[in-house]
Amino acid sequence: MNAEKQDYKVVVKNLTKYFGDLHVLDNISFNIRKGEFLCVVGPTGCGKTTFLNLLTRIYTPTKGDLYIDGKPADPKKHNLAFVFQEPSAMPWLTVEQNLRFGLEIKKLSKKEIDERVNEIISLLGLEPFRKAYPHQLSVSTAQRIIIGRAFAMNPDLLLMDEPYGQMDIKLRFYLEDEVIRLWKKLGSTVVFITHNIEEAVYLAERILILTNKPTTIKEEVIVDLPRPRDVTSPEFVEIRKHVTEQIKWW
Amino acid sequence: MSRVKTAAMSSSERKAYYLNRLYMILPVISVLLLLLLWTTASLNSDFPSPVETWNRLIELFERPIKNKTIIGHTLASLTRVFLALAFNWTFGIAFGILIGWNKKCRALFTPLFNAFRAVPPLAWIPLITMWFGIGEFPKALTVIIGSIAAVVVNTQAGLSNVQQIYLDVGTMFNANVRQKLFQIAIPSALDAIFAGVRTSTSAAWMVVLAAEMLGAKSGVGFLITRGMDSMDMPLVLMSMAVIGIVGAMLAVVTQFAERLICPWTRKRSN
Repeated sequence: MNAEKQDYKVVVKNLTKYFGDLHVLDNISFNIRKGEFLCVVGPTGCGKTTFLNLLTRIYTPTKGDLYIDGKPADPKKHNLAFVFQEPSAMPWLTVEQNLRFGLEIKKLSKKEIDERVNEIISLLGLEPFRKAYPHQLSVSTAQRIIIGRAFAMNPDLLLMDEPYGQMDIKLRFYLEDEVIRLWKKLGSTVVFITHNIEEAVYLAERILILTNKPTTIKEEVIVDLPRPRDVTSPEFVEIRKHVTEQIKWW
Repeated sequence: MSRVKTAAMSSSERKAYYLNRLYMILPVISVLLLLLLWTTASLNSDFPSPVETWNRLIELFERPIKNKTIIGHTLASLTRVFLALAFNWTFGIAFGILIGWNKKCRALFTPLFNAFRAVPPLAWIPLITMWFGIGEFPKALTVIIGSIAAVVVNTQAGLSNVQQIYLDVGTMFNANVRQKLFQIAIPSALDAIFAGVRTSTSAAWMVVLAAEMLGAKSGVGFLITRGMDSMDMPLVLMSMAVIGIVGAMLAVVTQFAERLICPWTRKRSN
């Protein structure tokens, strides 16, 4: 029991959220293993973003709590990183300064910051854009800065909220592979929210399917397919169909 | 030469090429038109011609007024402007940040400030003269009053309109309030602050001339009053031309400074 508990990086217990009378999240409980890649899917407007904002402490829960390494999640103690749906690279900072931003807020040593930022720049192939400003880059490159900024934190928990929602299919495939590469290389624990079922099946080790409001967990689906995954293989299609059925239930 | 350049172009490219040439020539044409109009108007009247105005400028170099040539008078006006702006850019920006960032301070100061900025700077002159006489300080004070509002209003707008997502990024990285203010809010408001700097500079340049027209011993505004008192219309026109040219140069300088300090706004201002 104890050994099992140690294995969990994140424990979510009875998470409930009301906005006034609006019951958004209802008694959500689940665990995330260290280094796991978890995808969360659900119908539009089911409170996926509220759910993430609770995890980052941008909102506080009405009831229940979130534990990281056995302690209540606290941005002061734990290292959380968030990739927002909207472009959130600071327009007044260059690519490199954007990557340094979170690390400087956390007041890491200059040497450590240099090392981590250089690693991320080379992992993401951002060297040619080091001194560029976000507005000079394409949307996808700007989004990669944000993803790099999040991974650079070596986060205890990395939360991604439909980061590829605005992109065309080619970029999406490219960036999905990239995020998998970063995740494997850095061993981060990732919660990835998406409304794209194929994306969820392609990325996740486990998928949480949420219901409509008030949101609870409808089902957990383990995706045990070898990587890189083939979106046309019968096993892949099977899982995708199953998840789609589960979401369509209402 | 230009035929060689345009020979390989398609007709629409050639059209765009000539249009670009035209955009470069049009400003020159407008200045020439003004001079032509001015010359025509002065032909059969007492109105001084451009040549007379130019000669008046040369004469001012030979016989300075109050020991100053036009350069001395322009510098006198600019000194007052920059004294006032130095104050405005420090205290105005600080005050703008205060009421833009802190909701309590905004609620406390906004009504007073709105009433204050509705009073034209010239209306303050009687009070300022009564309190401080007619030296250098009251003139700088008039300029301060006339141009501080632009800085405060723009800074406050910039600070209170910081996009929530940037502040959320700060929250997520556990930034404290000071970090959020100095590393997120102020940098993201810099282009708004600079808009205030630009507007205050042109406002200050206008107010200083008005202040100088009411009892000064130097400055371009003083030259206008002197010209009016002695019916020296070439002097008045020359001063007006100098005011226009210096004002335009100030605008160019502040724009250049903005591009230097906020390189990320370059695309937008282009």
